[in-house]
Formats: sequence, structure tokens, C-alpha cells
Amino acid sequence: MDENTTASNANPDLSVQLGPLRLKNPVMAASGTFGYGAEYSDFFDLRELGAIVVKGLSLQPRPGNPPPRLAETPAGLINAIGLENVGVESFIREKLPFLAQLQVPVIANIFGNTVDEYAELASRLDGIPGLAAIEINISCPNVKEGGMVFGTDPSMAAGVVQAVRRTASMPIITKLTPNVTRIAQIARAVVDAGSDMISCINTIAAMAVDIFSRRPKLANIVGGLSGPAIKPIALRCTYEVVQAVHCPVIGIGGITNATDALEFLLIGARAVQIGTANFVRPSVTREVIDGMRRFLGVQGIHSVEEFIGTLDTRCLFPFAEEACPIPEIADKRA
Amino acid sequence: MKKLQETALVIEHEQVAQLTHRLKLQAPGISRSACAGQFAMIQVREGFDPLLRRPLSFHRILPAEGCIELLYRVVGRGTWWLSQAKPGTAVSILGPLGNGFTPDESAGYPVALIAGGIGIAPLFQLLLNLVADSPENRRENIHLFYGARTAAELLPEDSFDLLGIPVHVSTDDGSRGFHGRVTQLFESIVEGGPMQPRRVFACGPLAMQVQVAKWVVAHGTASQLSLEALMACGVGACLGCALPAVRSNDSGPNQFVHVCKDGPIFQAGSIEWTKIQPHPMPTPTFLYS
Repeated sequence: MDENTTASNANPDLSVQLGPLRLKNPVMAASGTFGYGAEYSDFFDLRELGAIVVKGLSLQPRPGNPPPRLAETPAGLINAIGLENVGVESFIREKLPFLAQLQVPVIANIFGNTVDEYAELASRLDGIPGLAAIEINISCPNVKEGGMVFGTDPSMAAGVVQAVRRTASMPIITKLTPNVTRIAQIARAVVDAGSDMISCINTIAAMAVDIFSRRPKLANIVGGLSGPAIKPIALRCTYEVVQAVHCPVIGIGGITNATDALEFLLIGARAVQIGTANFVRPSVTREVIDGMRRFLGVQGIHSVEEFIGTLDTRCLFPFAEEACPIPEIADKRA
Repeated sequence: MKKLQETALVIEHEQVAQLTHRLKLQAPGISRSACAGQFAMIQVREGFDPLLRRPLSFHRILPAEGCIELLYRVVGRGTWWLSQAKPGTAVSILGPLGNGFTPDESAGYPVALIAGGIGIAPLFQLLLNLVADSPENRRENIHLFYGARTAAELLPEDSFDLLGIPVHVSTDDGSRGFHGRVTQLFESIVEGGPMQPRRVFACGPLAMQVQVAKWVVAHGTASQLSLEALMACGVGACLGCALPAVRSNDSGPNQFVHVCKDGPIFQAGSIEWTKIQPHPMPTPTFLYS
């Protein structure tokens, strides 16, 4: 659609306030799916992004898990990369300069084996020019120590966040795992411990096997499921978290187009991260931003902020006196 | 070299051998900058199943026509869906990706290319380049060793006629050419004789590559092997396509290379062959459901 001829609103305001951060739009590239940015710079102008979350960083470089590290499932991808990364020092020296010149908020995703390692990472990254925030990963299902061990217990999760909070003055986002019974409980614990924001969800623990070789498809045997298959679960988790805490929530999980992204905003997420879809369509983030702009324009909504959290959950039954907006249903009622 | 996402038009699509298809695509941008040994990530159909693109190496690069050709074997659901693409339809491709072959002529002749089954795909464009770049009297020193499980899986015999190079064929079942593995054929012909290559290029199943690697390392021969791995992004972001690399020191942690950005072309000596898990054949569920 030609934006200039759109009657209602040709140029809606996509900017959002995310705690202390101001983003020009609510679309971020998710950790572990966008490398350190440069990997996708051929495909579109990265400056269009709301923010970039870099691959998870540890104090020392990590080689990651042995291959095979991937298994494809219907509408999904199971990975067990094992947090391979260049290490925090190499990131600051070699990767950050490229990201910093983009003038896009850069969020450093961190993980450690111990609470002290998280704190050390945070103090190393805190205040570095070009970094906008720290995302604490307490949700990776693919490593033996750290990761999800911290994210599945409210008091351990709070412990990590407290330690990071003590050493970091930057905004802190805590990325939650869906592999818990009550994600709202974890959310409340990390917010009480000082997390400025929450992002959710990380991958869902999953498995794939081969009946011919009778072997697991992943060397790690189990991994984490991502992709369109997990979107309904991600929506439900995000909704529960939004209901449970007052801080900004970033929705993640299975987003492949603007409709998906808007669904997360509708239920109250103030921003979204796009992950696996980057692998399939390198410019998907830009397409989502464009689609979001078109939707708001056509709907005559002036600002994305007006749309966020406007889910109407009032019970439709029994039918009220006022006219039902869906003609088919209204007819049946007559 | 800029990576592109291009909507390519299917120009020709034909079965050329058992389960083997040749796909000619109009992709002007990618055809201009692609090199032999590089690959493209191709979306086999619309929708989310299969979710991921499939990595396929360039079989022929035709920049004058604005086209590329891919040669692939139907091994699973992804390639089966791809095989249904009709001429005139559009497919989305990313490319050119990876490093490509770098034939260093100073290493000299003879040159041996070893292809196992669908491994012929990237070696064909390399052959075209080698033949074009070599003086006429050198062409007999470019040898293609080409093996498959059975004759029906081999490209038609006339595929290599125009190149004017010696082609040595093997089949595991003896239905054409030498009866046995292509690496056995290779070793039986070149070992210690005047045809012993100064350069080896190879692409094929892992078991073949392991044999080739052993041979070139033992003989100190320059080698470029085209390797594969399960892959999600093709651009170095997902880190899924790791292969074990030779470590710089024995006591250090594992080290990995990534097929999409460090390869797919590797020197035999850079890979820790003993640690590679055999690539599981994709489950041919489409045959059973």
C-alpha cells in the first residue's frame, strides 16, 4: 500500500518508552540470532532497528557444544549451540565498535556459571559507550551450569539479578525461561531484585530423534525449541508476566511478521524481539517494522503506544444489550 | 562481496539422474558475484514447514545470462518440496555465501577432483574454471574422479564431453566403471605414478572426505574440500553448522569452525576428522507417510 495515500494516518509514531530507554520502534533482533550485527549488514540498513541484542557473552570465550547442534521440526528449530561466543573482552574490542557506530541501542546479553561471574560481566560492561542495556540470560537450556538453573528458581534468579544490580548502573533486562510452572513468580522475583525490565521467552526445552539411526538429532540430546511453533506459548507466558509486574516487558517467541509482533504488543509487551525468523528472512525485522507502520496507519492509530496493552478480555457471553460487532454472531442472536 | 536476498525465477527444472535434479534460476544479482564453491540458501516453499532454507552449492554460474544452476539430490522433505517447483514460479534465495574454491595455479599439475554422488555439484563449476584457465596442453592433467552408489545416480555420461579432460568413473555396485569406492579408484590410479596430483579438490559424503583427507595429509598435497553441515542461517549468525577444528594446542578446549562462514571449502588439515559425527541422512519420512 502506498503510505502517502493512506487516508487515516500515513506516518504513525512507532517510538516506545522502554523503562529508561527510548526506542524509535519496538522491534529488536534477539540474542543468538543476529550474531554481532555485522552478519546481517548486507541485507538492510541496521539503523532501522529499535535495538540489537547481541549473542550471549561470557567472561571467557566459549567453543560451544559439539555438532550436530540443530534439528528442524514442523514450524520450529531445536538448537543446542551451547552459548558459543567470543568472550566479553573480544566483544568490546572487536565487535562493539561496529555496533556502536550504528546509533542503534545495543543490548549486551550475558551469562555466567556462577552469580559472581554474572556480576563480573556486568561490571565489565557497565557504562561502556555504545551499550544501552544489559540482558541477563538465566534461561539457556543448553548448558550444564548456569543458564536455566538460575532461571527456574525464584530465589536463585533474584540472586543473579541482585548481584548484577549491585555492580551495574545501566538498565537491566532479565530474560526468562518458559520451562517453569509459574513464570509470573520468577518475574516478580527478578523485578523485586532490581531488574528494570523483563524479556520472555527463551527457547522451550525440546528433543528430536531419528528412528533410522536410532540416535538423537542433537549431540547434546536435548535442546531449545524456537520458531513459529512456540508463539502461542510465548504469548501466554508474556501475558502472565505482563499481568504480574509493572515494569516493561519485551515479548519474544515465534514472531515472523507484523501481525505476530502486534499480538505481543496487544497483550501488553512494550517491545518485541525477533529471533529464528532472521535465519529465514534476513530483513524480517525491517519488514515487521514496515508492516506495523502500515497496520497503525490503516487503523488510524497515531502512536504504537496507543495500541500497547489494549487487549479487551471482557467476557463476550452472555450477550450484552449493545449490538454485537460481528454480524454473523449478531444474526444468530436475533 | 555483498550477500543478497533475491527472488529468483525458475527457468528450468529437470531430473538428470536418480533423485537428482538440476534447477536453473534467474538471479541476476547473485549470478554476477557468485564463485565456484560458494552456496545459496534457498527457500523450498512458502510457509513454515519446512521452516529453514536449504543450503545448496552453485553447480554452474552464468553471469552473462543472469542465471545460476543448482544440482541437488532429494534426500528429505525440504529437497522433495524443492523438486516440485515449476518453471515460471519464484523462489527466494540468499547468496552468494561462504568462501568458495581458490584454485592456486602455482601449486601446479596434475589436478584431481574427487566427487562422491551429489558432490559433483560444486566441482562442476570449478572444473569449468580450471579448464578455462589452463593452457590447452594441461587439460589432460585435470582428472575428474566421479563415483556414485549406482550408475543411475551418475550424471549422463556426456556431461563432461566438452571439457576434454580425463573422467574416471566408479560405482559401489559395479554398474558402471570401476567397481568400488571413488577413493579406491583414485588411489589405484594415482598412487606413486605420474598422475599423482599436486592439488586435490573434493566434495562428497563424509566417509569419502575422511579418506581423501587421509590421503592428502599423508602425501602433503594441497587440498580444498567442500564440506556440509546442518545449517539454519548461512551467514554466521546461528553458529549451528560447527565442525571440529584441529586445535592450536592439544590441551585446549574443543575448537570449531563454521561451515557457512569459514567454509564450505576447507583444507583437509584444518578439520579434526576423527571427531565428526557421521552426518545423519535426513529421515526420509516422505517415503513412509
